[in-house]
Amino acid sequence: MHHHCIRLIGLAAAAFVLCAPAALDAQSFKTSWGDPDLQGTWTNQTLTPLERPAEFAGKPVLTAEEARAYEARLRQQNNADIRTPGTRRDVTVAYNDAWWDRGERIVADRRTSLIVDPADGKIPALTPAAQKRAEAARAANAAIGDNPAAPEDLDVYSRCIIRSALPRLSTGYNNNYEIVQAPGYVAILQEQIHDTRIIPLDGRPHLAGTVRQWLGDSRGRWDGDTLVVETTNFTDEARGSTFRDATRNMVLVERFRRVDAETIDYQFTVTDPETWTRPWTVKMPWNKVDGLMYEYACHEGNYGLANTLRSARAAEKAAQQK
Amino acid sequence: MRLMLVSSIALFALCLTAAPGSAHHSFAGEFDVDKPIKLQGTITRVEWINPHAWIHMDVKKPDGTVESWAIEGGTPNTLFRRGITRDSVKAGMVINVDGYLARDGSKKANGRDITLPDGRKLFLSGGGANEQPGR
Repeated sequence: MHHHCIRLIGLAAAAFVLCAPAALDAQSFKTSWGDPDLQGTWTNQTLTPLERPAEFAGKPVLTAEEARAYEARLRQQNNADIRTPGTRRDVTVAYNDAWWDRGERIVADRRTSLIVDPADGKIPALTPAAQKRAEAARAANAAIGDNPAAPEDLDVYSRCIIRSALPRLSTGYNNNYEIVQAPGYVAILQEQIHDTRIIPLDGRPHLAGTVRQWLGDSRGRWDGDTLVVETTNFTDEARGSTFRDATRNMVLVERFRRVDAETIDYQFTVTDPETWTRPWTVKMPWNKVDGLMYEYACHEGNYGLANTLRSARAAEKAAQQK
Repeated sequence: MRLMLVSSIALFALCLTAAPGSAHHSFAGEFDVDKPIKLQGTITRVEWINPHAWIHMDVKKPDGTVESWAIEGGTPNTLFRRGITRDSVKAGMVINVDGYLARDGSKKANGRDITLPDGRKLFLSGGGANEQPGR
């Protein structure tokens, strides 16, 4: 009996030690008005590619050892201090590695693709109509080449309109987001290009389909501890204003769930029957950042745009004089 | 052996084509890959602006005259996160620039490689600015 008691007390103590931090954490991630608390500054930076590379076909997860070797290889490939003088790549890499910030690790669960559905980690096939659209867009961009006739020939990022359409993936630098909540609203400040998504949670309907916005129109709701945000009303009126090959009618559903003090589990599903033969889903962590968000006021200092247009005019003039 | 050599070259070429991300705008539209340029000069002013910082410098020519050049870098946000501020890179510093000349013929270049006269990188890079262990 005595032994049983000691064992029970021991088990209870072990259970307390194991369970208590989780229980406390779950409780502490609530706002003062009772919503799950996603607030803070986060980064979605990762070396994990969106799609599973061919070398990892049929291998969704790496071992710890394989992961370290893969990370080392990617860091080497990405190192902008390694020069290839006289190549186009040497110009497009643009500057030393100190300016770049692509991350040094793959996702903590060591997956080989951010895409979790389909199971092969690949973007589903394009529909025949989408293939034609993508081909036409490629041809149009190739015709512009390095010589835009006007700002409209350049993409939305070069023009400092938006970084890219939602959903956002990890890029070369400034992959930072700040989430602020108030009763009935969640706001997400994106460092690039200094946009804030203000997401109402009150169940109001989407804007009319005639209203189209660079970052679409987002509506949120809580599903247990998960923030579910549906975004529609995208636009296709500028180069690069849709997500990859999608149309403006794409529907984006994002899920944000606080899993611990340092991590939000972020997942999104994109659906666009005019583009992909089936919906697809990405899972990637947003990791806590210690430090500040910095302003990325893009347009004011965008000398590169004018320089590019001047360069194109100079090239035309040189061609005429030949 | 020969096969190994060929596949090594192929692998190397593959590595080269795997673009490590792109800058805010295409530098190939702004700078000429066929016009590499090396400059040494004294920084006169740094514009810590987005989307790209610009370093202005005076370059003394062999005949003693001085030309003003502007050198394009990357986003200053990344440098700030690494602890590099406007106090770290100041007017009066002498730097070497190894880059490509602007396609519009003006005295601009990209700072593809910026070093101090002793060969050290101007912006000493550590780990990723957002890097935290175990992620």
